[in-house]
Amino acid sequence: MTRYTLTTLLLVVALATAACTSGGGGEAGDDPGLAGGSEVAAGAPSGESEADTGGSGAAAGALLEEIRSRGNLLCGVNEAVPGFGLQNQEGDFEGFDIDICKAVAAAILGDAEAVEYRPLSAEQRFTALQSGEVDVLSRNTTWTASRDGTEGVDFVTTTFYDGQGIMVKADSDFQAIEDLEGSPICVLSGTTTEQNLATRFADIDYEPVPSEDVEVLLQSFEEDRCDAYTSDRSQLAGLRSALPDGADSVRILDEVFSKEPLGPAVREGEADLFDAVNWAVLTLIAAEEFGVTSDNVEDMTSSEDPAILAFLGQAGGVEGAVLDPGLGLEPDFAVDVISAVGNYEEIYERNIAPLEIPRELNSLYTDGGLLYAPPYR
Amino acid sequence: MSAEQAAPSYRRQTRPPPWRDVRVLRVAGQALFLVLIAWALWFLFTTLLTNLRALSLPTSFDYLEQPTRVDIRDTDFNPSQPVKDALAVGLLNTVRVAAVGIVIATVLGTVIGIARLSRNWLVRRAAALYVELLRNVPVLVIIIFLYTAVMLRLPPISEALEIAGLVVFSNRGLNVPWGDGVGNVGAFTVALLVVAALAIAVARWRTRRSDATGEPSHRFLYGLGVLVAGVVVAYFALGQPVAFTAPVLDDRRVTGGIGLGPEYAALLFGLVLYTASHIAEIVRGSILAVPKGQTEAASAVGLTSWQRMRYVILPQSLRIAVPPLANQYLNLTKNSSLAVFIGYFDLTRITQQAIANGNPAPQAILVLMGCYLALSLTIALFSNMANRRLALKGSR
Repeated sequence: MTRYTLTTLLLVVALATAACTSGGGGEAGDDPGLAGGSEVAAGAPSGESEADTGGSGAAAGALLEEIRSRGNLLCGVNEAVPGFGLQNQEGDFEGFDIDICKAVAAAILGDAEAVEYRPLSAEQRFTALQSGEVDVLSRNTTWTASRDGTEGVDFVTTTFYDGQGIMVKADSDFQAIEDLEGSPICVLSGTTTEQNLATRFADIDYEPVPSEDVEVLLQSFEEDRCDAYTSDRSQLAGLRSALPDGADSVRILDEVFSKEPLGPAVREGEADLFDAVNWAVLTLIAAEEFGVTSDNVEDMTSSEDPAILAFLGQAGGVEGAVLDPGLGLEPDFAVDVISAVGNYEEIYERNIAPLEIPRELNSLYTDGGLLYAPPYR
Repeated sequence: MSAEQAAPSYRRQTRPPPWRDVRVLRVAGQALFLVLIAWALWFLFTTLLTNLRALSLPTSFDYLEQPTRVDIRDTDFNPSQPVKDALAVGLLNTVRVAAVGIVIATVLGTVIGIARLSRNWLVRRAAALYVELLRNVPVLVIIIFLYTAVMLRLPPISEALEIAGLVVFSNRGLNVPWGDGVGNVGAFTVALLVVAALAIAVARWRTRRSDATGEPSHRFLYGLGVLVAGVVVAYFALGQPVAFTAPVLDDRRVTGGIGLGPEYAALLFGLVLYTASHIAEIVRGSILAVPKGQTEAASAVGLTSWQRMRYVILPQSLRIAVPPLANQYLNLTKNSSLAVFIGYFDLTRITQQAIANGNPAPQAILVLMGCYLALSLTIALFSNMANRRLALKGSR
């Protein structure tokens, strides 16, 4: 009797373990269900290839080829942050991070619309990337050492330099972070935001009120459950613009208490894809440096400047012939990228300028910012 | 001679070759099945390991010793404490919600289940409405509704209700007076346990005496008397080891006392309301499963409807109700993981937090599953004990 009980118990534990070992990949596999009908089904056969990538992590480095043969890019994005990643009322995705996805698709596939967006929560995103659920993560993700080290992802060039701030009600008495002693503070769970908060408030007594749902969290803030709402300043600006009482009902405190370099990430070990995504991003910055825009890119292909001709993959450049730097992309991929989404400035003006966030760090190095593209030669 | 030769051949036929022997095949079939399962497990495990290594992800459980780096509300938890300490806090919070929820849901469910069988039209219909309404709505929806539409709509802190200087009530929680340990709390706790045991013993003694002599037992009064006297004596004998403070509202901050947060309340009542609707159906079903003759017999010996329910019907229906009830207790415990949506720091939330902060997901989820498995097996253990005690003698 006892012997059988023990055997049964062992079996149960063993089964639980089995369910769990598959859970590493399976967890992400559940995500499409969560994301539900909100996906833009750009390519039907993606289901098959997913199973492939999920099962064989051993075939590393082949993801770029796979994207080509599949014909579309799986991009992990945000769906509820105005300006960065938002699903609008027509069901289309729009925002800064979405345009990055389009730029990558234009660079690899020559078609900016060949993207299948996968809305991911902060907690799902790395598992989704690791398991091949998405090819590229473009979801305002902060580049940190431990994410590089233990999440199995590689971050490409930063697309947006951000920092964490705190938002309070406009009619409250809070002027500085020290005034928030003893206050409940709303914070999105599963983000570096939570850690930064704990670090900044190490000597200040506070009460974290976390939720993984932005809507629930915003409501907590509006109903005064929390005195303050903390997030990256760009997100605060985006959320503020969407408040029912208007952007003036809240105030963002001056102090910025973290460095948040946000950028796309790919799975670790995918060197070809890494280069492709990296140069898709750098192309946007280089285009602004060269003054190439979506409007004048056709004219620029017959430019007098050999550097621009080389950049746009046209004959007669610096070397006299068409320059192929060996990135695994078409020599004139920059033309596809720029005519589809424009240069960095255009993307910024389209998505982020309406939120009234000044460019500051996100200007070209020539304007005192941090954007700097390596030479294209 | 020929007959003797025929006998062995007949015997040989009774023991067919192994590939046709049912007993051999049965054992072989089970062995094969076990091998298949073991192979499947091994395959899954090695696949995981290969993929983790290919991505250069950690495969050990060292993360449990890493600093947590985030705060946990309503505790003295420090972000520099290791992840395993955070998990312990989460487990405790899960138990807090599950244990309290199970007790309230059982009481509420039983009342509604009995009400569904009431002869009063209004009571019966109201109970049916409750069951149909709550049973058919996902528990997550109930929890989010309770949190966003009820708890958050309570008065904000600037308009908090203060009642008699004892209670502060706002959408940041219900704060009531509470004792803080200032002296020998350990000894006081032991004394409380001794007093409680004493009170139960006295109540039992009264019951036995009542059974033997027929005089009224008053066991509740006796037990309560012993409890109150014992607590008071212990409190003063140990030099007042606990100091009581009332909550004080200071501008936007409440100090002193103890707070019941809106997240805890929303989760607890969401789970209770939902589970009670299922328990009500179990109670109703198990009452109806008691043969009608029992009710008639109880009426025939002159029991009132309360006595009939209390001494004849409920004890018998309990026997039927225990296994499905245990199921509901398991469900309630596991559903408490929905806390993540409203930010109650339960086991699942702490695990997700750990994963989001760079700790390995497969290992963290394995630990999470282990914890829930342990909780579930504990509940199953208690339900099996209850089941064995309640089972009819001689039945299996």
